[in-house]
Parts: sequence; C-alpha cells; structure tokens
Amino acid sequence: MSAAVLPAPASTTRTREGRSDLRTYNPLVKILGVVPVMLYVVTTRDVLTPALIGAAAFAVLAAMGRVRPTVLAGVALTAAALVAVMTLSFGLLTDPAAVTGSTLIASIGPVQVWSGALATGLATAVRTVALLMLVLLGGLTTTGADLVRAMTQQLHLPYRIGYAALAAVRFVPRFGHELEVIRGAHRVRGVALSRGPLGAVRRRAGYVVPLLAGGIRHGERVSLAMESRGFGAHPTRTERVRVPFGPRDVVLLLALWGGAAACAALATLL
Amino acid sequence: MILPLLETTGLRVRHHLPHDDGGFRLGAAAPDGVDLAVHPGEVVLLLGPSGCGKSTLALATNGLVPHVVAADVAGTITAGGRDVARTRPPELAGDVAMVFQDPDAQVVTGSVLDEVCFAPENLCRPADEVLARAETALRQVGLWARRADDPATLSGGGRQRLALAAALSAGARTLVLDEPTANLDPAGVEEVYDVLRTLVATGEHGVLLVEHDLDVAADVASRVVVLDDGGRVAAEGPVREVLTGQAKLLDALGVWLPTATLAGLRLRDQGVVVDPLPLTPAELTATLEAADDLPDPAAHADPRRPGPPVLTVDRLTFRRGRTTVLRDVGLAVGRGEFLAVVGANGAGKSTLAQLVAGVLRPRRRAVQGSVAVAGLDPWRADVRDLTAAVGFVFQNPEHQFVTSRVDDELAVGLRARGLPEPEIAARVEDVLDRFGLTPLRDRHPFWLSGGQKRRLSVGTAIVCRPDVLVLDEPTYGQDRERAVELLDLLTALHDDGTTVVVVSHDMQLVAEHATRVVALADGRVVADGSPAVVLGDEALLARAGLRTPPLARATRDVHRHPRWRSVTRLADLPTATAPVEVGA
Repeated sequence: MSAAVLPAPASTTRTREGRSDLRTYNPLVKILGVVPVMLYVVTTRDVLTPALIGAAAFAVLAAMGRVRPTVLAGVALTAAALVAVMTLSFGLLTDPAAVTGSTLIASIGPVQVWSGALATGLATAVRTVALLMLVLLGGLTTTGADLVRAMTQQLHLPYRIGYAALAAVRFVPRFGHELEVIRGAHRVRGVALSRGPLGAVRRRAGYVVPLLAGGIRHGERVSLAMESRGFGAHPTRTERVRVPFGPRDVVLLLALWGGAAACAALATLL
Repeated sequence: MILPLLETTGLRVRHHLPHDDGGFRLGAAAPDGVDLAVHPGEVVLLLGPSGCGKSTLALATNGLVPHVVAADVAGTITAGGRDVARTRPPELAGDVAMVFQDPDAQVVTGSVLDEVCFAPENLCRPADEVLARAETALRQVGLWARRADDPATLSGGGRQRLALAAALSAGARTLVLDEPTANLDPAGVEEVYDVLRTLVATGEHGVLLVEHDLDVAADVASRVVVLDDGGRVAAEGPVREVLTGQAKLLDALGVWLPTATLAGLRLRDQGVVVDPLPLTPAELTATLEAADDLPDPAAHADPRRPGPPVLTVDRLTFRRGRTTVLRDVGLAVGRGEFLAVVGANGAGKSTLAQLVAGVLRPRRRAVQGSVAVAGLDPWRADVRDLTAAVGFVFQNPEHQFVTSRVDDELAVGLRARGLPEPEIAARVEDVLDRFGLTPLRDRHPFWLSGGQKRRLSVGTAIVCRPDVLVLDEPTYGQDRERAVELLDLLTALHDDGTTVVVVSHDMQLVAEHATRVVALADGRVVADGSPAVVLGDEALLARAGLRTPPLARATRDVHRHPRWRSVTRLADLPTATAPVEVGA
C-alpha cells in the first residue's frame, strides 16, 4: 500500500520469510485470539497483573510487530499519559469510604487525595492500558483486507458482506474531506452564527443532510461499478491471496494464552 | 456479416420515480424505441441533449437498468450473444464492461493490482489467470509500474485508465463508457483517449461512448447515433456524415458540435467556401489555409477597462500539512473583470478560491501574505460583512444548502445581516424571477434538478449583492448544456457589473467568456494575461498540465492569414449579422 512494498510483484502466497513478523500471522489469531485474555484482564482488580500483561503485549508488538519507531513511541507515550490522567481523575472521583485501609495523602482546599482511591484509580488505568495494548497487537499489524480475507476463508463469512464492508471503509477519507467543505460552506452562509451548546448542535445537524445525500449517491455509484465488475456473479470468488491458518498460528495463539497465564502467575508470586 | 457485440432493438426505458408512500409512477420514455449495434473494432458515439436517455441506455447494456435501477424496459438487448433481460448484471461482466464518469466512485480496493484483479476474481477465474489478465490489462493502459500503489495516489486521468484496465481484465469485448472524461483536466482527457485509441486499433473491442466533448471524441468515433429530446433516434451514420452533414439539425437539438465544425459553419455564413465542414482543428487549419480571401476577425468586443482593484492577493503562500499548496501568489483583480483561474487538478486553484472567499480560514502558521476583498480581510471579517463583499459558489451545490425551502435558502444570508423583511422579500422575488425558480420556491433544495440546484447556488451568492463572485469548478461533472447555461448566466451578471472569478479547467469555455486568465502550476502563477495571449502559449499550457483550446490550436498554424492567428474564441470570428448563439 506504500512505496515500501513496490518490488513485491503480487503476494499470491504469503512469504514465510521473517518468521518473527507479526504481520504474517493469521489476523483471526491476532484479533480474536486475544479476546479471552482481554476478558481475563477485565476481571482483575490488582495493578500488577494487567501491568505485566500490558507490558508483555507492548514488548511483543515492539519485537515482532515491525511497527515504525515513531508509532511505537507514540503508543508508549499515550499509554503513560493515559495512566497518569486516569489515576488522578479516578482517584479524585472514587469515594474514599468505599476503599479500606486508605490514608489521606494531601488536601488542597476542599479536595482530598486518599491513597486507597488513588490505588483504585491506578488499577483501572492500568487495566484500560492493558486492553489497549492487546487491541493494538492485532490492530497495528493487520490490514483490513487481510482481516476480511481471513474471515471469508476461515470463518466462512459471505464474501459479499466482507468486501462490501471493505469498499465502504474506503468512503471514510472522502467523507472527512466532504465534511470539511460543508463546514466551510455553512460558515460562509452565516449558519455558524448561532452560539452556545444549542447552536453547536443545530450546526452539526445541518451537516447531516448534505453529508448523507452525498454518501448515499456515492454508495450507489460504487455499487453500480462493483456489479459491473462481476461482484456477486457467483456464490464464491477466487481468493488470489490465501491467508492460511497453520500450525504456527496455533503456536502463536497458545503462546499468547500461555504468556497471559504466566503473567497472572507471576503477579501472584510477586 | 460479423455479428455485433452489442445490439439493442426497440429499446424503450421508463424509470420508476418513487413516491413518498413507497409507490412509484413511470417517467417519460427515454430512450424510446432505439435500435443500435456495436461491432468489433468500432466506436459508436451516442449523442443527445440532457434527459434524452444516453446514460440510461448505457446502464441498460449490462442490465443495471432495470436490475439495480428500477425501470420498465421494453425491447431487447443482446450482449455477447446473451439476452440481457434474463441475465443478472454481474454475470455479464465478462461480456460488457463499464467505465463511469466519477473516477472516485469506481475504486473498490486498496491497490492498483487488486483493483484490476477484482473482476476476474469475481468471475472465479483461477488465480494465475487472474494475475496474467491483470498484467496484460495494466500494461495496456500503462499502469503496470504502479501496480503496488494505492489508487487514491493516481491522478484523475490515471484513475480512469485504471477503470479501463479493470474493464479489460474482466475479458469483456464490449466497453461502455459513460462520460469518462467529464471530471478530468485536459492532460487527463488526453491520457484516457490515447489509451482508448490503442485499444480500438486492435479490433478486438467494440465501444459505446457517451461523451459531450466532441473535440476529443470525434476522431476516435467511427459511427454516431444521435437521440432527440424524446429519446428517439434523430440521426445515425458514419461520424463525419452525421456531424458535418447534419450539423444544423444537431445544433437545433442542442447537441454540442466540434469547435472546428462550429467555426466552419460561421465561416460559411460569411460566404467563405467551406467544403467539407472541418471536424478537427487540423482540418480547420487546412480550410483556412485553402481560402484565398478571409474576412477580418471581429474586433475584441470588450473594450471596458477594469476599475480599481477590488480583490488583491499579496504574496500568498499556504501550506497544508507538509505540502505547500500555494507559493508566493500575487494578484490584483479590478472591478468588472471576468477572471478565469486555470490549472491542472491539484494545482491549487480551488484552495486559492477558498482562501479568497474566506471559506478556508487558515491557521496563522500555515500561511504567509494576505488577501483583501473590497477592503475586508476574509479570514477575520464578520461573516455578515463578508457575504456583502464576496459570494462563493461551491463545486457541489448541495454542500452550501442550509434550509429546507428554495426561498428560505435565498433569504438566509440577508436575514443574518438583519435587513428589513420587505427588502429581503423584494430581493428574493427578484432572484427567483431572474433565475426561473419562482414555481419551485417551496421545494426542498435537494429535490431540484442538477441545473436548478446550480442556479439556486449562484442565486444564494448574488442575492447579497457581493462585489466579487467566486465560483469553484462550476461546470465540473455537468453536461455541456448546463455548463453553457451557467456561463451565459455569469456573463449576464458580469455585464451588469459584477466582478467574476471562476476556477476551471475547461479551456474553451474559459476562452469564450473570460476577460483575463491566470494559470497556476504547482501553486505558482505561471501566466497572467488576456485569454488570447495565455491560451495561445502552447509550451506554457503544457507545463501547467493544460492544453491549447481547439480553436486556438487550429488558428496558430495558419500562415496565409496572419491576422487569424490571434483568433482563440468563437466570438472572435467575423460576424456581419447578429452574433450566433454558441452551442445550446
């Protein structure tokens, strides 16, 4: 999709070179395989378990994800900022009476900061970040096309649904641009003059009709073009790009679950 | 006799027009009883005024009408020996391939290669055959080297060539092209037609072409079928026979003729012997060279000197993200000018127009230089004052509609300015009347026809009586008739004293109407002068991704009559009697 892949003539079969590349694994493992781990993370109440799982997920992403360093740094910074903000805000919002063994750390005017409340806030924050890392594990290493291919090939999702959804995703940048133009248009027409929260709602409501009208028309045109190219001619279509589900995908899945279990065990030991 | 690839007999289509209650009524028949055949190696050009059913006929050839677009269809269509009425459109993909007008609305996948593989994959061809077909098709349109790229990174012309490749890879021998170049800049148009020409030369394919731009289509086409307002066949035959032999009939139908043919007709009216009528600029050159005596071209009819500057752009540089869209643009537009800003897609013309009208309010970091319209800074002025200084007409009229009635739409800008109600009512009536919108005053703007929407969008801008009217690609994606109607409207406004700035890449329309042309390339002003000077400079236009308009192309090679070399507009042609109406 970028200049970096130019020399590759056509990925008829996925190369198995670079065995440690997360991108070459089946998207279902990366996206659906982590769901049990995520469910487990939601049930934890301590700080250490989700912290270990989140850190492990980040480590896997950094080592096997082939994600650009700037993106990786962005992920790390966002995670840190999220922890800080959520810890503080949850810490202030949690009722200290509901937390046992809590001591007053500081009080600024009417605002009191209790250690127990902060701990609860921290746990919540770390859980959220761990979930985010698990989602990014698949999210940053999978293209939409590969996910759709895996879903049609392994889960037998009807291809018409999958590929139509992919085509629809391609509308998004167009909509973004269209919304920008509509916003400018409405401003110069003097609609933006209504102020306050009610004015903002009214303004946004005004964007809906032109945006929808344009979207429906565009969708109709795309569907005409797709039907003209034989989309829906047969119950199946040639899958030029195979997304296999092989032993190594099973190994990755087991490794993900095993890794999560190890983190949980380690947390109880520490 | 060779069997036709595509044949219609007695084709008659009536669209289902939906009612609010879920029912429908039938529209007028268009096309109505059309017999048409496309043979291998042939390009059949389908012409007719808007509403005659050209696009409907195109969509019927692979059954999209009536299978996807609801309609009653009578008569028969046979494509590749199959009865279209009994076959679902996708199953016909291997027989009939379509290329539509909007390049954006035909991209389905994320890479050039996937795009071309899409059709043969749908037809369940084996994977190695899919790749072989894709490679052949991409090489035919010259996009093989870009196979790994995202289609969104291609130019408009590139994306239409990709659409052609996608049509070819399906293996269809009939290609149906519905206004394939209406959204392209001149360089893009040329790319698409160059590819089409080489395809047709193989004799493998038959093409049904709906195209209003006869200056590019006439020399590709082998036969012409002309429909009248009622969707019936009005004329049919070899391209030259019909376009030159029945030129008067076509003109009366509102069908646009090649510029060279129009010019030939004018010369005939002047008593110059023009036989046969020219079709292409080169033929017009030959006609002019062959004439022993030519009347003098008409004097330029616009002696009005522009007034003091009403719009100034001072050393404007604008960045969007990391790309510099405009570089050091300087411009002063005098009161009463009709300025055309031309340039290839992506040259920065729309951005310039939006900055000038305050549609785009740039962040301080992104911009250097300044803009002033009627003494106002459009980036900081109150919107209420701004609407009286500059009116902006968007490329897509729907973007700017903010109310649910036509008359409210006209009044909204005036109400914002707090004008007294009687004055608002008077101005709204005036514009409704002038633009022929009075019978539609209580309609929802979105329910108007394309031409009516365009008129309303111009109306909403001029009802505030702005000093300057700015239009962003007002003819983009519109048929020739609507484009001419709009430009005539603008000329009328200009004659009444409004300063008009229009962004466009339609070179002949620009040549006909503008008093001054500014050419942009890569965000820089590369030319600024009268249409005759700018549009006559071929090297400069080529550098800007533009092409010399057809009339200028014909006259620049005239050697026997040097005075004719400055003729770039049909209005420059000698007229003894009243000026002939151009086109529709």
